[in-house]
Amino acid sequence: MEDEHKITPGRYTILQRQGYTKLYKVKENGTVMIRHFTVETQNAVNAKFFDLFQMKPKGNSRKMCKLERVTSVDDDIKHTGGSGNDNRNIIDDGTSQTLTKEQIEELQDGSKSSVEIVNQLIANSKTFSSKTGYSQEKYKSKKQKKYYEYIYFRKPTIRILAQMFYRQDPTKVLGIRTDDLSQILAYANIQTDGKYILFDSGTSGLMTAAILNAIGANTSGKLVHMHPGNECQKVAVQAMDFPQEQLSRCINVNIYSVLRCFYQNSEENMLKRKLPLEEEEVVQKKMKLDDDVEEGIKEVVVATEEVEASNKNEVSNGKKTPGWQIENAKACELLREGVDGLIIVAKEHPASIVKELTQFLNVSRNMVVFHLLREPLQDIYIDLKKSLEFVNIKVSNNFVRNYQVLPDRTHPLVNMNSGGHILHGQKVQS
Amino acid sequence: MSFDGCKTVVTEGDTVILFLTVNQVYAITAEKKTKNKNGDLVPYVFQTPYGALKGEQLIGKEFGTKILLSKGWGYILQPTPELWTVALRHRTQIIYTPDISMITLQLELKPGSVVIESGTGSGSLSHALIRSVKPHGHLYTFDFHKERADIARQEFQDHGLQEYVTVYNRDVCCNGFDEALDGKVDAVFLDLPHPWLAIPHGVNSFKPEGGRLCSFSPCIEQVQKTCLKLREHHFQEIETLEVLQTQFSVQTRRLASLEMEYLKNPKEENDGDNKCEKQIVSTLTAIPPLSQPGHTGYLTFATMPPIWARSMKTIDDLDNDDNEN
Repeated sequence: MEDEHKITPGRYTILQRQGYTKLYKVKENGTVMIRHFTVETQNAVNAKFFDLFQMKPKGNSRKMCKLERVTSVDDDIKHTGGSGNDNRNIIDDGTSQTLTKEQIEELQDGSKSSVEIVNQLIANSKTFSSKTGYSQEKYKSKKQKKYYEYIYFRKPTIRILAQMFYRQDPTKVLGIRTDDLSQILAYANIQTDGKYILFDSGTSGLMTAAILNAIGANTSGKLVHMHPGNECQKVAVQAMDFPQEQLSRCINVNIYSVLRCFYQNSEENMLKRKLPLEEEEVVQKKMKLDDDVEEGIKEVVVATEEVEASNKNEVSNGKKTPGWQIENAKACELLREGVDGLIIVAKEHPASIVKELTQFLNVSRNMVVFHLLREPLQDIYIDLKKSLEFVNIKVSNNFVRNYQVLPDRTHPLVNMNSGGHILHGQKVQS
Repeated sequence: MSFDGCKTVVTEGDTVILFLTVNQVYAITAEKKTKNKNGDLVPYVFQTPYGALKGEQLIGKEFGTKILLSKGWGYILQPTPELWTVALRHRTQIIYTPDISMITLQLELKPGSVVIESGTGSGSLSHALIRSVKPHGHLYTFDFHKERADIARQEFQDHGLQEYVTVYNRDVCCNGFDEALDGKVDAVFLDLPHPWLAIPHGVNSFKPEGGRLCSFSPCIEQVQKTCLKLREHHFQEIETLEVLQTQFSVQTRRLASLEMEYLKNPKEENDGDNKCEKQIVSTLTAIPPLSQPGHTGYLTFATMPPIWARSMKTIDDLDNDDNEN
């Protein structure tokens, strides 16, 4: 219980500096880049999540920092010069700050804290005293944010990961914004005892992690995760640190490989291929062992390849079935039984994927297709209408707006972005 | 009974969704008899726009199959929280799926989570919360309106969800949440006229490792007061947003195209009628509704840090206007 909240080596954490977040795998003597500093995280090892650390320069180095545990943020910004009523006398001629760029850089690289830097900036600003109170506050918070040197670590969650990936680069998650993710999960109606198919052409493992998270630990739900490449992305899955029991209910298969297995392997072959339970366990243990060795070397571990590699020797001995074939067989079994939800998140045109995979969906169950563009979903809508296999088909997109809420200064944030499109519907007996 | 898990065949007592068209979605109970106004048992018959449907008819049918009515047909579906939100009988204003899904994701719910909801209202959100936290978790839902609490309790029973939810009839602004819940919950949801009055009580309910809070308010003044209160109680990552969904109508539109090519040639005496021929071009398009809700409510989210970090002073603003390096 205690360990659950500890920053222990080997585990993934979210490193947070104000609104900025970064995924970081803790190492005994690790370093991490924050702004232009290389930060040694040694002092955070075995501390707790949410413990606050201040970045302090290490020795005389201008680029190296170490972490120092603190209990509060110093925000004692001094200014006694009063304030103005409006900006009628402020002229933007670029001369109000008397410190030069070089001098400011020197402040940053030295051992000055953010508060000291901001205090210096204010003391050397000719116009600060004539700014209005609100304007002064905005200036202070803007500058302090820029030089903010406090960080803390926290446990990854689906929300944090989704927001982080999207902010870093929306293409990392195929453009799935938080609201899109939330609705994909809702419309797919993920139940803890359901079986689901996910086709995902690259969301850094976010979709897989989100569905696994919704299926939950110590439940009976299962997920077949189909991907189009040799490897499946799984950074988010690793970050979530699911227990092995939960992780083992996610079957990662290549879509071509599993469908070939489905169409071309007769039942007889399947049975022949199916291993006795003990043997299967041995293979799984071996996979796990390999996993451990590889950990720390690669961030994105290649699922299929890894399994293939671990089984190469055994195959050459002519004894055992490769791991990916076992996964395919397991997946095919679920496909034959039919699934309780189909989620397709593609960068390709999803029409052929929808056409191929809807056969595995049971009736009265939901399909959700996400695409950044609306046009492919329009095509699918027409296809589904013609097939008579789906009802309640809807195509939608969201408008999301964030707000700044401050006394007398409440307004929508200046920047916003546009999300993707979602098609969902229920399968019926046609 | 049909809300818990995946079911294939309708059994007696199940709630069934009757789907006729996108705008005609109804919830029906698969029961032979029902009580009329006088409390007498009478055969249960549901009147649809396409003819009457006896509740008894549904028993034994498979979810997802066609059901014949005297003047047409429909499909019967297993209820999901999303279908229920569309079909339920409104006792209050309800929260809809775009907000509901944002709430469940942002509250970081998963099977096993313990969550507080206030008020229960018509139970639209409750069903989604229960789906997220069952089978190991629990929903504690509060409403100060006695009748509403009673109806909701009965409804959860009828839907087979009673083991995952406890309904209280209680004014949480005055009396707080149940003290027995202190230190036991992962998430708190508030949909109250004065959410700031409930926040101090909510603080006590969080587990030592902290959790997430959400407040849903239609008015910006409520949001402002709520945010002040949240800061006062050391919540972090305070964020306010709104989600609006547009549903498109996908259509193939046939548009006239003007023919002007012939104008380049000298006019011939005989065929004066040629110019009137218009071409028709088909184009696939998605049309937003003529009018749609432009506001539902502001969603304010916040993080309650773990107990060892609660009194810590931090500057955490999720203001994304400034691009971080």
